Amino acid sequence: MAEHVFFGGKGGVGKTTVASAYALKCANAGLDTLVVSTDPAHSTGDVFDQEFGDEPRSVEGIENLRAMEIDPEHEVQEHLQETKRALGEQLSPAMASGIDLQIEMAHRTPGAYEAALLDRFVDVMREADCDRVVFDTSPTGATLRLLALPELLGKWIDQLAHKREKSIEYFEMAAIGNQEPRRIREGDPILARLRKRKERFEFAGDALDEASFYLVCNPDELSVRETERSIETHREYGLSVDGIVINRLTPEPDADEQGRGARFLREKVETERERVEYVENEFEPPVVAAIETRVREVKGSLLTEVAETLSVDPLRTA
Amino acid sequence: MDLAERIERYRATIEKWLRGLYHGMFTHPAYEKIEKEAEDLEDAFMLACFPDAFGIPSPVSYYTAELLPHLTDEYEAWQRRMWDRESLIERKGQQYHF
Repeated sequence: MAEHVFFGGKGGVGKTTVASAYALKCANAGLDTLVVSTDPAHSTGDVFDQEFGDEPRSVEGIENLRAMEIDPEHEVQEHLQETKRALGEQLSPAMASGIDLQIEMAHRTPGAYEAALLDRFVDVMREADCDRVVFDTSPTGATLRLLALPELLGKWIDQLAHKREKSIEYFEMAAIGNQEPRRIREGDPILARLRKRKERFEFAGDALDEASFYLVCNPDELSVRETERSIETHREYGLSVDGIVINRLTPEPDADEQGRGARFLREKVETERERVEYVENEFEPPVVAAIETRVREVKGSLLTEVAETLSVDPLRTA
Repeated sequence: MDLAERIERYRATIEKWLRGLYHGMFTHPAYEKIEKEAEDLEDAFMLACFPDAFGIPSPVSYYTAELLPHLTDEYEAWQRRMWDRESLIERKGQQYHF
């Protein structure tokens, strides 16, 4: 099975850049790598100057690297169509209207996007035939909630299955004698479905336990605090953070420069250094990279440069 | 018709009546009770699956929606029962046939 690496963090700190750089590093080290963007505001395509879709596509000009962007809207629609098709197979269109409405509604609930995203996550984790899958996740809150879902949903499905089993058992009991019971356990499609779901969630839970997590942050107060909270939440969910990447450090001016810009930069570097030290000393996960801000967008050869600053050995297994 | 045959018929009728009486007094209410219980459990299952049918948002309804194609009969029976039900006592009391 492929090894999974997640990059998370506050919005706008440069997760995509760091994740892409890491993926590039893995690819250059000879690992067959897939980078998956789960942020609805996709920008993986911008980093590589290419367009990616819902299916993995190899990144042009880079060997061993493929990329994909998950579109939850597309997933929801597909799931909706599939469910409706199954409904059509089961009964005539005239009878289906009430059920139809219920199905539509289920796909418009607030959790539908998350559920669809999780579904696709599991698919990717399952089917990816490569050595390393790098997830560029959406900003902290959403992803964390997503990662906590498998366990929660697993329990919920358990309860549902238990209720169903119980009621079938009673129906069977009520039919002692020669009657045909109203429901039978053998080949019950509901139980089969629930079991399949359960198995998927279990797989996701196990895969997440083995995955590596890196948090990206900027050397500013808000970002550092959010990272602190994020580490805490990860721990609550039983996931350990393997490292922190500090991105967008201000470059220090040369010693002989004395202009207004230089003074500004020097002061900024000073406060940032304090924060970096704070992160290094107070946070449990080690700082695996400190990346200086670049004047231009990080792309092409700049990406390789950034990749080199990441002190994570891609060949080391977690 | 000789005596033996008449006794035979007499006994068959008695047996039929006794079995009917037994079924009506004991076994049928028991089946009915168990079936009701099963229905109640099924109602709980349906409510857990589709609380949004009653305006309660559910994080799993996206997943449980895929059960619906196989649950059409149950779903309709469930809704009928839910609309019919006046109180728990009323439903549990049905078994006594006053």
